[in-house]
Amino acid sequence: MLVIDKFSRKPIYEQIIEGIEREILTGILAEREQLPSIRELSLKLSINPNTIQKAFIELDRAGVIVTSQGRGCFVAADARMRIREKFIPKIAEIAALAAELAGAGVDEDAVLDAVREAYANHERKETKL
Amino acid sequence: MISAKNVTMKFDDFVALNQLNCDIPDSCIYGLVGSNGAGKSTFLRLISGVYRPYEGTITADGEPVWENPKVKSRIMYVPDELYFLPQSDMNTMARLYAAVYDSFSTERFRELTATFGLKPDANIGTFSKGMKRQAATILALSVMPKYLFFDETFDGLDPVMRNLVKQVIYSDVCERGTTTIITSHSLRELEDTCDQLALLHKGGIVFESDIQNLKTALFKVQVAFADTFGKERFEGIETLSYAQTGSVATLIVRGDRDTVTGQIRAMQPLLLDVLPLNLEEVFIYEMEALGYAFKDIM
Repeated sequence: MLVIDKFSRKPIYEQIIEGIEREILTGILAEREQLPSIRELSLKLSINPNTIQKAFIELDRAGVIVTSQGRGCFVAADARMRIREKFIPKIAEIAALAAELAGAGVDEDAVLDAVREAYANHERKETKL
Repeated sequence: MISAKNVTMKFDDFVALNQLNCDIPDSCIYGLVGSNGAGKSTFLRLISGVYRPYEGTITADGEPVWENPKVKSRIMYVPDELYFLPQSDMNTMARLYAAVYDSFSTERFRELTATFGLKPDANIGTFSKGMKRQAATILALSVMPKYLFFDETFDGLDPVMRNLVKQVIYSDVCERGTTTIITSHSLRELEDTCDQLALLHKGGIVFESDIQNLKTALFKVQVAFADTFGKERFEGIETLSYAQTGSVATLIVRGDRDTVTGQIRAMQPLLLDVLPLNLEEVFIYEMEALGYAFKDIM
């Protein structure tokens, strides 16, 4: 279930986009599955339907969801791949963080270990599912 | 769509609205903020046909509102000062509204009075201030109008009721494309409800924007460099405000977040933090950029 923090500095429609992407990545929403309607989400989350519409348009444009006139919105068949593509630029953040850690004199192996451990943990979770 | 063109409104020699222009698209939830006397209520009375504009035109769906029953039948206005027939109960008021508005839904009226827990056969005069607000809001929502105007109505409702009213409005937006205008003097009140926001000051709209764009268009950058530097280092970046203490500078920037972050990162700073702003901060900086001091306005 999406959780929206209305008092966050982050715009609500960005929170909706991230929330839906997270649900797709974790498998709560399966590929090709139908998304709840704008009306349903609006009432459940108490959020302006125009805001939800905007998030859906954005997701549609990124190819994460597919809008079918009159039938509603569906998770795209290749949604996970699309979301993955969006995450690739985040590698730059690791680079920036690594530069900071290097500046502070943190051992390179410790940093690499942390990255490997995060990946290993994630895979363990995946296989459990 | 509601459209105001060069609207001026005068009361004797007091100018309440001065050459105001605005377009409010269908199914929009439009928030109007401004201090007391900014012209919020005057604007609502003009677009609901209570006043005739001194100059300029106001149209709903392309037709003037003043003395036009056809257009006015699509408009429901909840004023700041409520009026109920003397000694009446909500049933009487419902009959009055049903006689005036063809679209009045008795079914919805029953539903809402039950949800809000108001007695439809109790004398409204015995209601508390907040209950009167609820009664007026229920009656307005039961009219099922295309255009719904609330003058500071939300300010008088408790959080639970506010949420209920919001849900009814949201469902109307989904189902019938209802256009809603809400005025308030509190930005926080409108932040999570509206999708368009306009700031009214001394009879004119000084600022109008999509609420989401508003929140993403500006952001705060904190940056530090090893060498000495000044404002000139950030030339080419649209900076609304600049402050520096020692080697740390704080900038309020307008532009694309990723582009600007990339630009600054290329300067190899010691520290770089990019923070979003809340709506209040965005307003302060946008207004300052327009030459207003925020504290004079809100």
